[in-house]
Amino acid sequence: MINFCRFRLDNGLRVIVNEDSSTPLVAMNILYDAGSKDEDPSLTGMAHLFEHLMYCGTASIPEYDLPLQLAGGENNAFTNNDITNYYLTLPSENAETAFWLESDRMLEPGFTQKKLDVQKSVVTEEFKQRYMNQPYGDAMLLLRPLAYSTHPYRWPTIGMDISHIENVTLDNVRDFFSSYYIPDNAILAIAGNIAPGKAFDLAARWFGSIPQGIRKERKLPAEPRQTLEKKLSVERYVPSNALYKTWHMGSRLSNEYHTFDLLTDLLAGGESGRLHNRLVRERNLFSEINAYITSDIDPGLVIISGKLMKGIDIFKADEAVNEVINELKDSVLSSHELEKVKNRFESSNVLSNTSILNKAMNLSIYELLGDPGLMNREVENFRAVSGEMVRETAIRFLTTENCTTLYYLASGK
Amino acid sequence: MTGFRRIQPQVYPFDARVDVPMKLLTLGNGASVFLIETGTEEIMRIEFVFRAGMVQEYLPLLANSTNMMMTEGSENYTAEELNNILDYYGIFLNMITEKDTAGLIVYFLNKHFEKVLELLVEILFRPEFPENELDILMNKRLNWFRINREKVQNIAGDRFFESVFGSHHPYGRQVQESDFGGMIPSLLKDFHAKFYKPEKMTMIVSGQIPGSASDSFERFFGGLGSKEIYTEDSKNRIIGAHVKKVHIEKKGAIQTAIRIGSASINKRHPDYPGLKFLNLLLGGYFGSRLMKNIREEKGFTYGIHSSVSSFDLSGSIMISTEVGKKNAGQAVDEIYREIKLLHSIPVGRDELEVVRNYMAGEMVRMFDGPFAIAESFKAVWEFGLNFNYFIGMMDTIRTITPDEILKLARDYYNIDDFYEITAG
Repeated sequence: MINFCRFRLDNGLRVIVNEDSSTPLVAMNILYDAGSKDEDPSLTGMAHLFEHLMYCGTASIPEYDLPLQLAGGENNAFTNNDITNYYLTLPSENAETAFWLESDRMLEPGFTQKKLDVQKSVVTEEFKQRYMNQPYGDAMLLLRPLAYSTHPYRWPTIGMDISHIENVTLDNVRDFFSSYYIPDNAILAIAGNIAPGKAFDLAARWFGSIPQGIRKERKLPAEPRQTLEKKLSVERYVPSNALYKTWHMGSRLSNEYHTFDLLTDLLAGGESGRLHNRLVRERNLFSEINAYITSDIDPGLVIISGKLMKGIDIFKADEAVNEVINELKDSVLSSHELEKVKNRFESSNVLSNTSILNKAMNLSIYELLGDPGLMNREVENFRAVSGEMVRETAIRFLTTENCTTLYYLASGK
Repeated sequence: MTGFRRIQPQVYPFDARVDVPMKLLTLGNGASVFLIETGTEEIMRIEFVFRAGMVQEYLPLLANSTNMMMTEGSENYTAEELNNILDYYGIFLNMITEKDTAGLIVYFLNKHFEKVLELLVEILFRPEFPENELDILMNKRLNWFRINREKVQNIAGDRFFESVFGSHHPYGRQVQESDFGGMIPSLLKDFHAKFYKPEKMTMIVSGQIPGSASDSFERFFGGLGSKEIYTEDSKNRIIGAHVKKVHIEKKGAIQTAIRIGSASINKRHPDYPGLKFLNLLLGGYFGSRLMKNIREEKGFTYGIHSSVSSFDLSGSIMISTEVGKKNAGQAVDEIYREIKLLHSIPVGRDELEVVRNYMAGEMVRMFDGPFAIAESFKAVWEFGLNFNYFIGMMDTIRTITPDEILKLARDYYNIDDFYEITAG
C-alpha cells in the first residue's frame, strides 16, 4: 500500500508526495503531458529532441547537471508516445536543489542555436546507435506506420526520419516549450525521506511563481477500426528471420486493459509462458519470443515479436504463433495457469515498490490517468480478470482483420 | 524578479551509512550465510555464490552453460515443471555467470520462503543436465551469438578483452560458433560436481528476513555435502597481445565502436579507490570530461564512458563509445588528449568538489535499501574484503588531492600500454 498526499498549486501544477523514511534519499519525478503524439507530422522526433535541450542550462543556471552533482544527485529522462518524463534522486538533505533546478527550467530554459545544433547531432547518433546500426533495430520503425494509418502513434518517438530532426528550428523549439512545458500540464511527484508538508512548501516556493500558461489543445485524429489484415516483408542483412505481429487494443483506461496485460503475461511471462513453451522448447522454431502491450494512453497495441531459429520458414513460424493465439479463443484457461500469472504480477508489483524512483514515476503516471490511488488497486484489478474474459477478449481483438504482420527476412548476403 | 533563482539552495554535507549491521551464520556443513535485515516490503532477495565462474572453465561456454542448465530439469522435476512452479509462486530467478563467480539471485514474497528453499536445493544441487534441453539451449544461444556478432560494440568489446588478457585465458578468450556443439551433459555434470559444492556455497540474504530463517537455512542446506574431487590448478596465464592497435572492418556499419584501455589493478590494491575517483572524473558520470567534450561540445556520440573493472586475478580500465564513422579518428584523438591533460594539469578545485559530492551521492545510492546493500557487499566480499573497503572509499572521496590524482593518472593511464580497438 503506497500512501500519498496530493496538492495543486494555483498555477495548475499537481504535486504528489509519498513519504518513505527508510531511505536516505529523495526521488523527484516530473512528468510533462507531452509526447511524440503531440508532434507536427512534419517534425517528428521533436518531443525527444526537446528532452535533450532541457539539459542545456538557463539564464539563471548555466549548467543543469553541475549543481545537481554538487548536491550528490543524479538524473535522467525519457520520452515516449504520450509523455516526457524527467527524474532525479539525491540525498534528502539536499532535496531543495531538485525543486530549484526543475522549477527553473520549467520557467525559462535558455535555448541557443549552438546547443540545438549539438543536440541534433547527439540525437542523430542515438538514432544510428539504437535503430540503424543494430540487427533488427528498425523493426519498430517499420511496424508502427504499418499498424496505424492515422493516429500519431504511427511514428516512433525517435522520429519518422532523421531529416525531421535536422529541420527543427529554434522557433519550433520555443513554440513546443510554450505549448506544453507549463505548470498546468505537468505533474510533480516526490518519494522518499521528506515530509509532505515540507515538500508542498518547497513546491509552492519554487514552482508557485511560474505563470500558468495556456496549454495547446490536443486534437488527435482517432485511428479508424482496422478491417483488413496488413502484411509487409522486408529483407535485411541479419543472421536469421524475425516475426512481428500486432493487433489494436483499447486505451489505458479501457475495460479490457488488464485482460490484455494478463493475456500477454500468459503468452510470454517467464520461462513457462505459452509461446516460449510451445515454440522455443517444444518445437524449436524460435530462439526467443516475446509478447507485450504498449501500455499507451490512447488505444495501443498488443505485440508479439520473435527471432526464428536459423533455417526456419517464416510462414511456418507465423502459423505456429497463430495456433497458440487460437488456443486462447478455443478453450478456457485452467485456474492454475490463471493463478500463476496473477501471482507473478503481484510479486513484480511488490518488487517495483521497493524503489522510491519507481514509486515517484508510478504516482505521476496514475495522476495523469486521473487517480494515483489506482496504483494501489493494480493487483486487485489484475486479479479480477477471469478465464472467460481472456477468451472473450482474444475472440474479439485477436482476429485476422485486426492483425498487422511484419516478416523481417534475412537476406542471402 | 528571478534573481533568487541564480543561487543554489545551500548544499549540506551528507554521509553514506556504509557500515551496515550484518549477521554471519555458518551452517553445519560450513556454508556461509550473510544476513542483511532491513526493508519496507514483505519481499526477500537471496544471492547464492560459488567459485564457479569462467576462470574455472577448461572449455569456452562451460561455466555459463552449466549455470543456465540448472533450471532445465532436476532429480524431482522436469524443466517444464520447474519453470512452471517458479512462475506459479512468482519467484524471480536470475542465473549469473561472471568471470570469477557464478550462481543465482532469487527474489520472492516472504510467504513463499520455504517453497523457495526447497526448489533451490533442486536447482543448485540436483540438476540432471538432460541432453534434449541442452541441445535446445545451445541452438538457441548459437542464434543469439550470431545476432550479437553483428553488433560493432560486441565485436570491439570482445576483441578488447582478448587483447588485454590473451586469447587463451578465460578472461579474454572469445567464443566461436564451433564451441556450442562441444557442450555435452557429462562435461556439465563434471563442472557442476567440482564447483557447485554445498559446503563451499555463500548466501547473501537481504530484505525482511523472518525470525525462523536461520533454522530453515540449516534444515535445507546445512546437511548437504559432496564428494571430494581433485581439481587441477589452472595453467592459464594472463598474457596481453603484442599488437596494440586493431581495426575490425564491419561491412555496412554506420557507426564505429571504440574500446581503449589496458589491464589494471583490482580492489585489493590500495590505489584502487583513487583510481575509481579518477575514472569517474574522466568518463564515469554525465558531467565527466569525456562526455562534455565528445558528446556535449562536439555531438559525436550518444554516449562515452570510462570504466574500471576488478577481477580476482587482474583488473581493467576501458573507455568505450560508438561514434559516426567519419568522426572516429577525431574521437580517438580527443580521448588521448583528455588523458594527457590528466597527466599534466592538476584538477581544479571546483571540479574536484563536484566529483567528490557526486561520488559520495553514488555511495548513498549503493547503500539505499536491502538489495542495494547486498549487491555492494557481494562486490567486496568476493575479493576477501568487507564494508571497511567502503569506509576507505569514502575517505578517499573526501580527501584525495590534485597531486594524488595527477600521480594516479600517470601511473595507470599510460597511453603506451593502451590497446586501441575499433570496429565499424
